[in-house]
Amino acid sequence: MSDTIQIAKNSKPKASRLSVGELMRSPAMGAFVGMVLVFCIFAAFGFHKNFLSLAGIANWMNFASMIGIVAIPVGFLMIAGELDISVGAIMPASAMTLGILCGPYELPLGLGMLITFAMAAGIGWINGILVTRTQVPSFIVTLATLFAVGGLTLTLSVIFVNRPQVAYEAPELAKALLGDRYFGFRASVFWWILLSAALYFVLHKSPWGNWIFAVGGDAESARNAGIPVNRLKISLFVLSALCTAFAGMLQVAAFNSAQSATNFPLIFNTIIACVVGGVLLTGGFGTLIGIFFGTMTLGVVQQGIGYTDIDRNLSQLIIGVMLLAAVLMNGTFQKLATSWSTSKKED
Amino acid sequence: MNFKKTIVGAVVASMTAGSAMAADIALVIGSNQDAFWNVVKKGAEDAAVLVEARGGSLTILQTQGYENYGPDLAVLIEQATAQGVDGIATVLPVPEAQLPAIKAAIDAGIKVTLLNGGSDALEESGALNYFGSEEYTAGYEGGKYLTMAGAKNILCHNQTPGTANLDARCRGVVDGATEAGANARELPLPANLDQDVAGTSAAIEAELNGDPSIDAVITLATWAADAAYGAIDSLGKTDTVKLGTFDLSPSTLDRIKAGTQAMAIDQTPYYQGFLSVSTLAANIDFGTKIATAPVLTGPAIVDASNIDATFAGVEAGTR
Repeated sequence: MSDTIQIAKNSKPKASRLSVGELMRSPAMGAFVGMVLVFCIFAAFGFHKNFLSLAGIANWMNFASMIGIVAIPVGFLMIAGELDISVGAIMPASAMTLGILCGPYELPLGLGMLITFAMAAGIGWINGILVTRTQVPSFIVTLATLFAVGGLTLTLSVIFVNRPQVAYEAPELAKALLGDRYFGFRASVFWWILLSAALYFVLHKSPWGNWIFAVGGDAESARNAGIPVNRLKISLFVLSALCTAFAGMLQVAAFNSAQSATNFPLIFNTIIACVVGGVLLTGGFGTLIGIFFGTMTLGVVQQGIGYTDIDRNLSQLIIGVMLLAAVLMNGTFQKLATSWSTSKKED
Repeated sequence: MNFKKTIVGAVVASMTAGSAMAADIALVIGSNQDAFWNVVKKGAEDAAVLVEARGGSLTILQTQGYENYGPDLAVLIEQATAQGVDGIATVLPVPEAQLPAIKAAIDAGIKVTLLNGGSDALEESGALNYFGSEEYTAGYEGGKYLTMAGAKNILCHNQTPGTANLDARCRGVVDGATEAGANARELPLPANLDQDVAGTSAAIEAELNGDPSIDAVITLATWAADAAYGAIDSLGKTDTVKLGTFDLSPSTLDRIKAGTQAMAIDQTPYYQGFLSVSTLAANIDFGTKIATAPVLTGPAIVDASNIDATFAGVEAGTR
């Protein structure tokens, strides 16, 4: 009895050393280091233009938050082995729906938001049903939905308000919650952090998270193990659509207007954020914190150039190089994470 | 004898009724992802009422985007030629790519009018007329206006550097401002921020933060004006930084009315669509021609002094 207590006491220092080591080896560390790398580079080049100020940080965080809110559920789908590119059309569709219902048609904001969420959930549900009931890959299904929803948004906008844009000023309270800035940070940043925390628990601390990883690893085995694969996938598509709709609403509240043009860059940006954050395109692997840092990396890289004196025409070149550097950094850490073997010490 | 008369009568009747006035027209313009073309279409559709009343038709052909603009427009002109239309109203932003297709259409007996872009190539194209504004001139007037209104350091946001008409606008802004005595420069943002309001807003905010001497921003599209306003507003600089834009939109006009935006440059897209289609149809049906060429539909500056007249048109989507 006393021996075991002695061993337990002796094992304490080892436990604390292991936990730092574990942190270093976690896949999210790669995304974090990548972000720190690009941050330092732009801090050096952009120091004289206030990159390191609170306003400077808020600047790219605001941009990152709009991508981040959508990137997380897109990342979930990627981990589960699917892709959702219809987000590019769901965002303007939701923004226009909210703008038209609450602007020219003067519905109360709460009702407008409910209808918009319901519409988005419907689109997500259609995505999920088509992916699970047919053998068509999710890339194709969501590509079809992308164009279908985009075309519908444009047509319905012109039918209802004669143009593919709408102006809408949200009431005070809604603006304070959804659109205003606090210390320079837009409300979307706080919602992004909140959503990340909530979905962290879903992915890493709940049975659903296990299901997502299982389905991404091998859908057939997961099904045989009793996981409701179809229902899970449909829920993930609905989640993706709902989060995208929310991002669209935040944009309307912040900029008092909505456009019906399909947001193609959003598709790339969310996938880039996930891949830079360590999510495998082949599925089955990824962390929420990784996606979070991947989004921040993208934000720094995209906006950081504005703080430097580098010729703006080189912007796209720099974005490409920086992202490659971040992903290579990520890859190194992922290898460390999966191949490190802890040395077993005998007492 | 009677039978022959009936046949001859029927043939004559069908020939005169069918071909006398029937202008089948194709309108070739940019992507419907860009709200600007919607207003052009409203003008064209109003002209189509006349065209259809005389037995003709209007087909609208739009590109997918701007990434491959010249070649895409050339393909659409060829498509219209293949459809056997009587007239093509097209934009001409990339003459090198499109002129061969236009020449082929004219050789096939199709009449052509130009709108929105390409006034310099009017003579070479063999088109009847051009309806639009001149991008450089519009930019020049915009730069001059802001300088007269008190701006000393103007930023011209270009969302897709390398597009000839947008580059010409900012060149005009810079020249107009410089000749009126102010500083001006272009802000070319990477094309992957095109149509991205949040990203563009953050980028413009970074510029304003980095250079506090900027006291005016001019954008080349209305969604970019929304983005720029977001940036100016978050920095609390609506009183010190003037905002101007090309084209009109509901939010732009609301801001001009509220005093948070200085002006908008109107190239009257409604007229570009309406006149290019209606004059083409009239030329096909009656052989008429307008004596002035090119016909400039802009620039017209909309600011606080003439804002009220625009609202009815904005509601109808025609301004």
